[in-house]
Amino acid sequence: MTEIDHKKVLAERLSARFGRRAVLKGLGAGILAATAAGGVPSIARAQQSGHLKIASIKVIDTLDPHFTGFLSAIQIINNIHNGLLKITYDGSAVKFEPDLAETWDLEDDKTHVFKLRDGVKFHDGTPCDAEAVKFSLLRVKEGEPKSPHAWKLALLDEIEIVDPLTIKLKFSQPYAFLPVALNGSTGRAGTIVSPAAVQKYGADYGRNPVGTGPFKFVSWRENDAIELEANTEYFEPGLPKLEKVTFVLMNEASTALAALFAGQIDGMTDCPMQLVDQVDAFPNATLYGEIEGNYTFVGMNCKRSPFDDINLRRAVAWALDRDTIVKQAYFGRAQAAYTPISPPMTDFFDPNIASSGRGQWFDLEKAKAFRAKAANQGEVEAVYMMAERGPVGTRIAQTVAPMLAQIGIKAKLELIEPAAWVKRRNASDFDLYDFEWVADLDPDETLYPEFRSDGAWNFGGWVNTEFDDLCAQAQVLLDPEARKELYYKAEDLLMDEAGIAVMAHMPIYKVFSNKVQGFQYIPADLVNLHTVSLA
Amino acid sequence: MLLQALGKIAQTLVVLFIVSVASFGLLKLAPGDPIQIMLGSEFSQESYDSLTAELGLDRPFLVQYGDWALRFVSGDWGTSYVARTDIFTYAFKEALPVTLTLASFSLAFAILIGVPLGVLSAVKKDTAFDAGAAVLALTGTAFPSFLLGILLIWFFAVKLGLFPVMGYVSPWQDFWTGIYHIILPGLTLSTYFIAMITRLTRATLIEVMEQPYIAAARARGEPAWRVIWVHGVRNIAMPLVTILGLQLGTLLQGTVLTETVFNLPGIGQMLTSAVLGREYMVVQAGVMMTATLFIGVNLLVDLSYPVLDPRLRARK
Repeated sequence: MTEIDHKKVLAERLSARFGRRAVLKGLGAGILAATAAGGVPSIARAQQSGHLKIASIKVIDTLDPHFTGFLSAIQIINNIHNGLLKITYDGSAVKFEPDLAETWDLEDDKTHVFKLRDGVKFHDGTPCDAEAVKFSLLRVKEGEPKSPHAWKLALLDEIEIVDPLTIKLKFSQPYAFLPVALNGSTGRAGTIVSPAAVQKYGADYGRNPVGTGPFKFVSWRENDAIELEANTEYFEPGLPKLEKVTFVLMNEASTALAALFAGQIDGMTDCPMQLVDQVDAFPNATLYGEIEGNYTFVGMNCKRSPFDDINLRRAVAWALDRDTIVKQAYFGRAQAAYTPISPPMTDFFDPNIASSGRGQWFDLEKAKAFRAKAANQGEVEAVYMMAERGPVGTRIAQTVAPMLAQIGIKAKLELIEPAAWVKRRNASDFDLYDFEWVADLDPDETLYPEFRSDGAWNFGGWVNTEFDDLCAQAQVLLDPEARKELYYKAEDLLMDEAGIAVMAHMPIYKVFSNKVQGFQYIPADLVNLHTVSLA
Repeated sequence: MLLQALGKIAQTLVVLFIVSVASFGLLKLAPGDPIQIMLGSEFSQESYDSLTAELGLDRPFLVQYGDWALRFVSGDWGTSYVARTDIFTYAFKEALPVTLTLASFSLAFAILIGVPLGVLSAVKKDTAFDAGAAVLALTGTAFPSFLLGILLIWFFAVKLGLFPVMGYVSPWQDFWTGIYHIILPGLTLSTYFIAMITRLTRATLIEVMEQPYIAAARARGEPAWRVIWVHGVRNIAMPLVTILGLQLGTLLQGTVLTETVFNLPGIGQMLTSAVLGREYMVVQAGVMMTATLFIGVNLLVDLSYPVLDPRLRARK
């Protein structure tokens, strides 16, 4: 086996914007200062104007990046804070670029050195330096109460401040997931918060967030609105362009759409699939949305009868007519999935997966053949737990139940309230349920925590130690090709043993009125308003 | 009189106590867990235990209830688990005024439209007008307010652009903008009550108009409008006020859907999100406020009887 040059791989993964040559040069010489030595980079101050009002349909739990569990909150948090890294999208591939970091260097495959931008200040005027970065990383890793994102930094052994603008992170092993963990978006763990503000507000930081982002937090009126105003000292030249942003907090998407059509608001952070046709027919709005980093599935409880029977699970996996599910449950908007790895993971997703012979798909004859091998040859009764939650509520359960009937499984649809649904799912108290893992940008977060034998989110309880080994090996490789090979093997095990019946990859939509310009869509359910302006 | 008043207050306190224990207990009994909801899917057992302890949710039920009750009575309504918002500010200062405004405007619409419609129906009994009003009233009672709200939004706000789709502006700060924002939700919430008041006014007025004092008024040669509006309508005030007091609960229930459709940050929306998020203390605050409101209004209804009917006044 040839040795992988981790430094070269990292350099190649860094974006063109930062420049491959600069990174390689830095790698040879140790730490690189990318800007001219010394001086504080001058920030071209932007002239801000306009007040954007955008409906936020889902629940905002907290604006504390280290404690939120909700993408709808991250959409707002990301406009207030920055990460060490950030996600960018050029229309074909998702990339991880330095954000608060100016350079990112590997001393060896476990030691990462970040040189920070000079002169960046938090909204409260305190400097965003190596001490502040260390504070944030430690807050995630070992703060009290424990951050739900602490696991992302579990491999972080040591943080060393080299100088006020240079920080060295030593990991116990090479960590391929690091770019995702350290960005300020879906990673959350790498979002940098003001230490002074955390000390001042304590547990109430989530109501008083202070970051370095393009917008400053102004107010949060419960069930009403969250208001932000431009950070005129923002470090990206010419940004932000808006003077004020109001996230109008709403529960009812159809009201938000009516308000958009009436010109009362300028956009929606989330446009449910069932409303997309109406938006398409409306001339004054633009829809943004592509298949994002997600997959949906029917989960089966492998720990108890009847789905502890591999043949019965396989029968389910092959009995689901994905095209019908896409049409009926997802309003024709989703894309049939063959395995969990989704299209935005461009280093790993196989665009020809449909003809590759890998994964799961609809084949009723095959399903019936597996059913014939199942231990229980009588009619199987199974409780299908469903709730008005997720992007399409109970539509999946209703579409899937008749498909299961064709292979002699009588799904008893049980409609329960969302909070009770979460509790029962987490306690593995179900036979069948459907769910979606969203905003994944790396196969590690798509597969490992969900299906590892002792994984906290492995609610179905599928166990395969070979799968665990493959994922663990892939975690410490930085070469995408080598990782891909391991993840394909892991996925093949999961799909063959039908740990789940995978269904679809979904598009996530945002909509803006045509007077909103410059929105840069990123397929990770983000609503970054840095570059947005109002005509 | 003093004893009577003290009795009423004691009765109110007992009711509030029962309501608070029941809502606290029922919500705790309901499956679902605020920590699991607030942590989303990505958390470890360690973070779960740590947050549970931090929020004091690992303590026994009675300790949690006792702690809440003592604080609540002393004016400390606590902080919500997830959003860390001060519950007193959120519930009492922000949400309650919205719901009170919505409810009072709806009630005003209902009375201003329902009473004249009912009176006219009674006066024009068994005519085409009466039949038309009956059909309208039945439709109003049968139409789900959720759907009506959406239809009103699409027709009056989106198609005609006459009213705003959503949002709340306090009429006490900017009267006309406030009224402009409250018309559609007020109308949506009041439809059921317009229908109910129309039917009730009609039925009771028909009965009243057959009383001897009406015949006497007519015999004295008083003009028809005076006979109806002064002698007639005054005598239907008592049943009307009683029913309205008792129906306040229905009105408050109606605010949940109306506030959701029109995106008004009132108690209805507050309670919905609090129940779904298992925010026990926010739910408690909401329940206590609505219970107090309900009891308070019905107390006022009791006290209004002597005002409405001189025969009930204490003789000197």
